[in-house]
Amino acid sequence: MAVTMAVIRDVMPAFDLLQPTTAADAQKLLEKYRGEAWALAGGMDSFDWLKDRLRKPRVVVDLSGIDELKGIRATSDGVEIGALTTLTEVGAHPLIRKDYSLLSDAVEHVASPQIRNQGTLGGNVSQDVRCWYYRGGWPCYRAGGETCFADTPVGRNREHAIFGADRCVAVHPSDSAPALIALDAKFVIRSSKGERVVDAEDYFIGPNVEITRINILQPGDLLTSIRIPSSWAGARFYFEKIRDRNVWDFPLMNVASAMVLNGNTIQRMRIVVNAAAPTPMRLKAVEAAVAGKPANAETGEMAGNMAVKGAVPLQFNAYKIPLMRNLVKRAIVGAQEASWA
Amino acid sequence: MAEMTPAELLKAENEKPLPFGDGYRLIGKNYPTNDLMAKVTGKAKYAEDFRAEGMLFCRLVLSPMPHARVKRINAEKALAMPGIRGILTPQEIPGAANYMNDNGVMIKVNPWAERALTDQPMYQGDPILAVAGIDELSVANAIEQIEIDMEPLPFVTDPLEAMRPGSPNPRSEGNVWVRPKNHPGPMQLANLKWTQKDFDCYKEGRLPEGQAPDEWSYGDLDAGFRNAALVLDETFITPDTSHQCLEPRSTMAYWQNGKLYLYTGTQSTFQTVPAIARWMHMDEDKIVFISEYTGGGFGSKITGAITMIVPALLSKKLNAPVMMRVSRREEHFIGRARPSVEGRVKIGFAKDGRITALDMFTICDSGAYGAQGDGASAGSIVSLLYQPPAMRWRGVNVMTNTPPRSAQSAPGGLQGIAILEPILSKAARKLSLDQVALRRANCPEGPVEYGPVNERTGKRAHVTSCFLKQALDMGVKSFRWNERVASKPKRIGSKVRGLGVSLSVFHGGSIGFDGLIVITPQGRVQIHSGIGNLGTEAVIDVHRAAAEVLNVKWDACDIIWGNTAKHMPYTCASGGSQTTHAMTRAAHAVAVECVKRLKEVAAKSLGGQPDEYEVANLRVFRRGGGAAMSFAEAAQYAIKLGGIYDGHAVNPEVNPATKKSVAALAGQGLVASARDDYPHNGDSYSFLACFAEIEADVETGKYYIVDYQAYADVGTVVHPAALGGQILGRSTLGIGHAISQDWVIDPQYGVTLAERFYENRPPTILDVPVDMKWNAVNIPDPQTPVGARGCGEPPVGGGCASILNALSDALGDNIFQRAPVKCDTILTSYEAGRPMQEPLVANI
Amino acid sequence: MSEMDDQKVDDGTSNAITRRKFIMGVIAGGAVVGAASYHFLSPSHAPLPPYLGERLISLNVNGKVRRVDVMKQETLASTLRYKLGLTGAKMGCDRAECGSCTVLLDGVPYYSCSVLTHTVRGRKITTIEGLAAPDGTLHPLQKAIVDEQGFQCAFCMSGFTLAALAFLKKHPNPTRAELAHGVSGNLCRCQDYNKILDALTRGAEYMRRA
Repeated sequence: MAVTMAVIRDVMPAFDLLQPTTAADAQKLLEKYRGEAWALAGGMDSFDWLKDRLRKPRVVVDLSGIDELKGIRATSDGVEIGALTTLTEVGAHPLIRKDYSLLSDAVEHVASPQIRNQGTLGGNVSQDVRCWYYRGGWPCYRAGGETCFADTPVGRNREHAIFGADRCVAVHPSDSAPALIALDAKFVIRSSKGERVVDAEDYFIGPNVEITRINILQPGDLLTSIRIPSSWAGARFYFEKIRDRNVWDFPLMNVASAMVLNGNTIQRMRIVVNAAAPTPMRLKAVEAAVAGKPANAETGEMAGNMAVKGAVPLQFNAYKIPLMRNLVKRAIVGAQEASWA
Repeated sequence: MAEMTPAELLKAENEKPLPFGDGYRLIGKNYPTNDLMAKVTGKAKYAEDFRAEGMLFCRLVLSPMPHARVKRINAEKALAMPGIRGILTPQEIPGAANYMNDNGVMIKVNPWAERALTDQPMYQGDPILAVAGIDELSVANAIEQIEIDMEPLPFVTDPLEAMRPGSPNPRSEGNVWVRPKNHPGPMQLANLKWTQKDFDCYKEGRLPEGQAPDEWSYGDLDAGFRNAALVLDETFITPDTSHQCLEPRSTMAYWQNGKLYLYTGTQSTFQTVPAIARWMHMDEDKIVFISEYTGGGFGSKITGAITMIVPALLSKKLNAPVMMRVSRREEHFIGRARPSVEGRVKIGFAKDGRITALDMFTICDSGAYGAQGDGASAGSIVSLLYQPPAMRWRGVNVMTNTPPRSAQSAPGGLQGIAILEPILSKAARKLSLDQVALRRANCPEGPVEYGPVNERTGKRAHVTSCFLKQALDMGVKSFRWNERVASKPKRIGSKVRGLGVSLSVFHGGSIGFDGLIVITPQGRVQIHSGIGNLGTEAVIDVHRAAAEVLNVKWDACDIIWGNTAKHMPYTCASGGSQTTHAMTRAAHAVAVECVKRLKEVAAKSLGGQPDEYEVANLRVFRRGGGAAMSFAEAAQYAIKLGGIYDGHAVNPEVNPATKKSVAALAGQGLVASARDDYPHNGDSYSFLACFAEIEADVETGKYYIVDYQAYADVGTVVHPAALGGQILGRSTLGIGHAISQDWVIDPQYGVTLAERFYENRPPTILDVPVDMKWNAVNIPDPQTPVGARGCGEPPVGGGCASILNALSDALGDNIFQRAPVKCDTILTSYEAGRPMQEPLVANI
Repeated sequence: MSEMDDQKVDDGTSNAITRRKFIMGVIAGGAVVGAASYHFLSPSHAPLPPYLGERLISLNVNGKVRRVDVMKQETLASTLRYKLGLTGAKMGCDRAECGSCTVLLDGVPYYSCSVLTHTVRGRKITTIEGLAAPDGTLHPLQKAIVDEQGFQCAFCMSGFTLAALAFLKKHPNPTRAELAHGVSGNLCRCQDYNKILDALTRGAEYMRRA
């Protein structure tokens, strides 16, 4: 016998909508309501939580009216992108396309045109994981419970992690995050204590650190902008996303890399893989190992094999190992474009 | 061959493709259908677009468990909440009852049939309760206050697991559906478990073949295998795929003067009324059904959906109109799906590629309610499409605690073709034969036989006609098959290319329905259509045949559709691609009747004999000049004449439902009705040859469809643009099964995980080529007056299988043995050189 | 209850129903449309905190300013469909993954199921109902769809049309593949993509000529 409360989805719960026009006001509101507040950027992740009625915030702070959080501008050392800048704008901006095409390439692979028109860069890096157990409201570790439903002998885990699992085996779903890490971007966070700047890769939190969170934002914090330094401007970039359908789908895996060459010798490289682990994975060992080596198939093979060392497949996701190996290889030697006469 | 002389055979071979519209004014020509203006301006009303004053909103409560008994529902708190008007419980759903069908046959009640709400849910997502209130927010807030006390019961979600010795049954009475012996009636649930020994081959990925309740065979199977140059034994699994109509089955209902007004999407306007009457336990005369536009059906809305009675019952109970909005998630559960068929085929080939024997075994996952015919249909389709001289089919129809299935475009046709075609491709490679040559060697031609010998008649069934060889030849030429095969590069970098061809077939017609036309006193030709408007445009297109016979311009015709209060003739259900065939026949028949009555009216009014008159340009005139009257004048005179001319009397042979409609229209003009009683010898099927080229990247498992083309034998082409939409649209529906669509269910909890589009993956516009091509041979079917057959479903199997064949051409024979084939399958198997995925596990 | 008590219920129903009339189409522009019985709760029905409930706002829809009561959590798709009588935008998924609710905001396509109505005050909203000229003359893109028999069930049609309109204004002469990318945020379950591209390609041609 089991007494349950009936469940209904697909009706947004009532909330108060606060629409600040300055970042300072927004931060103050988030500070004031803390755990009762939900920050709404483009809403593409938020509306799922709300419509599923799995989150019922008292207030929603709509950031879309804050002009100072939007736009792209050149800085003395690169470019700064407001967190509320839409993915469409990021993808189309001449500054980004010229020197940081890794990022424009990545954001153009997100979801669909309408979602890119509305979804923001800040939202894309801050979105939650897509594990169907967790998103379905199952009481798993990440939801504060005491089990993982995906990591069982029959759990359905085709899309889950081969690295970094710690009780939770969900993967990070962002396409822009690995590109930003590869570009050595810095995230600017505003809180009551003022502004702090963190390296992109330090923005993301794995389950080994805190299982119910996906990034370092605390209640009251606001991600305001993302700064890309010029250190990798114009480098040789590689981005590839593998997904089942060519629209809408989250990555089964993606890779983003920046490589500076001298002739064909790799001087330095940053390479990041996402949807392989609960956070975007920067492959520092690979970066170190390829430095000074020629950007050829041999180096690519070596890098690929090195990247997947220690991978732990689940029941249905072993394919992610050859996939990651090959994507890392291609980041170094490129996909061999077929030319069919 | 059935009743065929060698001369007739020769005739089928000699038929040549014809240009569209050859010999016709309207048929075979493009025109804008009458519903397009409303669609393109946003004025077209689908069910959820209607509003009624004081309209309440209701939402369903779905079972959280895959199999349970609801012991107690406590809705006290919910009912006391503001804005809540009432609930509907399973006890308030009218019980199932026997009913009489259109042809006066009593259909016995099925004790295992699905009900609109249930207190013994058979799958997670089974509706158990409905709540109505002034708005959805109130309803949602109230639902979350309802306590449900449930007793969990054993369940099983994988059909093979349900067959294992000692496994739980999906329902206490059993796990498989069997046909009752010695008496007609619904399929019976029975207990059947296979032995551990039956499962010995499971580990090697071969489908166990235990005891099968259904079996038929013909020819000498043993001799066929003995004489074969090559024998293959292969297992292939097709996916469960949701219909995912873009319009969920939302419904609005209200009562007025004792009549139920119900608005929902359906494939069959006329045929949905009896379904409502049956489910509601009420008289058909008290039902007005409105379904002007339907946002897709694909077999899931043939006569609406049983949940549509929920707002009808709530509306009655609460004395207010009720809108039931069905969300996409709810649609996943109640919106139907194609059953997975797990197939194993042992097949023998002669050196020239001709099949010598075929032994097919299927397991059909029928889900939570009702036996599905897909396994049996797969056997029948295979027998027709590849003409094996000896064949056995065995099947088991398994119940599982998963969402209910129904027919989906080419039920069993898709599965049978998807199971067989990759085996044919493998055989051609082993025999070093060209893929087209092997298919041509087995291709049906003319009025071929298929299936087992009918016990009653002692004969095998046969088709009306088949010109598939002409379609195949047309495709080989247009696709440049031979040139592509010759010039195909082996591998460039990580990219490999593959070419695939597939034959395809499905039902294409039925007979015996009615047409109804009113010539109004204003001189308009008013054609009443009981066909559903689900996007195929058959609702309008079939009446081009009537306008052709009446010799009038199309703009003189008004099509009346979408509302049973506007009086409809007895019309086929739009399922099984029967409509174009069935209703062009009915339209032809009623137009011939109309011409006859017009001539009689003219003769009575103007003198002379009816056969001295002709009909053209909205006039009836005496041949060679002289007396004439307009259609308007004829209609006015018909009203004066009364009787058979204005609907006060009716042709005795039409269906009782048509008689009622005629009576209701009596006196409004020249009212003509007629039944299709044209001769028809055989079963009507439509055929296609489908071609595809793919490019796969073996480093990522990602592949693209480079090209897809389909060539059809559908009889006479009625409306080329609409036909093209059907051929390529339903091809793509099939392609979805090859490339992306499936279900994901956690078997430990019996819960569906993939509920959303991005999880179940219907193909997007970027998943198929941007310039697919089609054509049709346009050779009239000799057994129907217009020569036209349907083509909604026949392309589906070929769409799927041509992609699978192209994939195996590119990647090799040992990469996949289930569909869809996604990058995970390719990546894990390509390096290993053998299928690596757990091949027989369902819903991964 | 295994059988329904027709007589008793019908008597009550018929009285109520005779006063009922359908709201069949567009509600007059400029009027304040009450929302009490539609879809979302209004404050008079429940003891909600004062900051919840509806607020009267102005929306610029198809060139007209419409005054309407809107809940804070209400989506634009709901407001258009249930309060402004503009049902051309369809709810195919309500989750930003089918595109049938697509409308234009300042000429840019958005999924109206995933936009809060309160966030689009001051923006120009275009729905399918706003495409044809006031005299009923079809927009060239609509004309092309009619000429090519574009779409089947057409539940996706308004979304596709608006997405295509926005795309073609920026890219008047696209290749077929570019056009497909432009409308790739729209799903057609009749899978009529080929014919849709035929129609939209013709539409591009008509728009260039217009």
